[in-house]
Amino acid sequence: MKQSCRPMPKLPSSHQSAAVRLPITEHQLSMTQLPTIYSITESEIDLNDLLARITLTSTGAAAIFTGMVRGVTARGDAHETEYLEYESYVPMAEAKMKQVADEIREKWPVVEGIAIVQRIGKLYPKTPTVLIACTAAHRDTGVFDAARYGIDRLKEIVPVWKKEVGPDGQEWVEGDYIPKPGE
Amino acid sequence: MNHIKLLFFATIRDRAGVKSMDLEIPTDMTILQLKEKLGTDHPNLKESMKSVLVTINREYAFDEAVVPSNAEIALFPPVSGG
Repeated sequence: MKQSCRPMPKLPSSHQSAAVRLPITEHQLSMTQLPTIYSITESEIDLNDLLARITLTSTGAAAIFTGMVRGVTARGDAHETEYLEYESYVPMAEAKMKQVADEIREKWPVVEGIAIVQRIGKLYPKTPTVLIACTAAHRDTGVFDAARYGIDRLKEIVPVWKKEVGPDGQEWVEGDYIPKPGE
Repeated sequence: MNHIKLLFFATIRDRAGVKSMDLEIPTDMTILQLKEKLGTDHPNLKESMKSVLVTINREYAFDEAVVPSNAEIALFPPVSGG
């Protein structure tokens, strides 16, 4: 699982002076950088682990979106799903997830930690397939909108596809978003 | 001539029948010309080339872009993750 960090914008002066005086250890780095996790995985999505990794001592709120395989669809073209088979262009997908995280930080600088994880492979109804979580100091900081933006953006530009298999056969699900230059 | 690697995903891979392909293409070939070549060389892909998304070295690319040497080119339908 990849993790990148960027400098935290504002630090108490005590942290800054400590960082200047002492050799930089891994522990200190973790205190002065914001956690960003982005990953395509074939493993189960571990919400507790991800949440712990994007929670800072200053964090008081997390907005978490997770999507799961829907076995019975009532809206629109009603149908049943036996399983979904996900695939991804992994190196590009992870780079685009990083881009989504960067866009979130640009729009909501108050966001502290970000986790974006897409599970791939054969996934059955009720199984979580994707998770976007954003943390912040408080809930009224735009953190809900940040997580909403993350899942919407993932569905636009991150190269992942799913094939739906049901009682009537199988069919690739195709999106409808055409990325623009620079996306 | 430029050497490139093509990667296919989802419906495009099913129609191509392979996951990837190495290709020699003329220098200065554009994405549009590459799509036309693929549609001609692989009739199964002809229809798909109208709506396919294309990337050059993992960034979205468009018809006018020139394919660089040793590029990793991917072709796939609009994404459907989540």
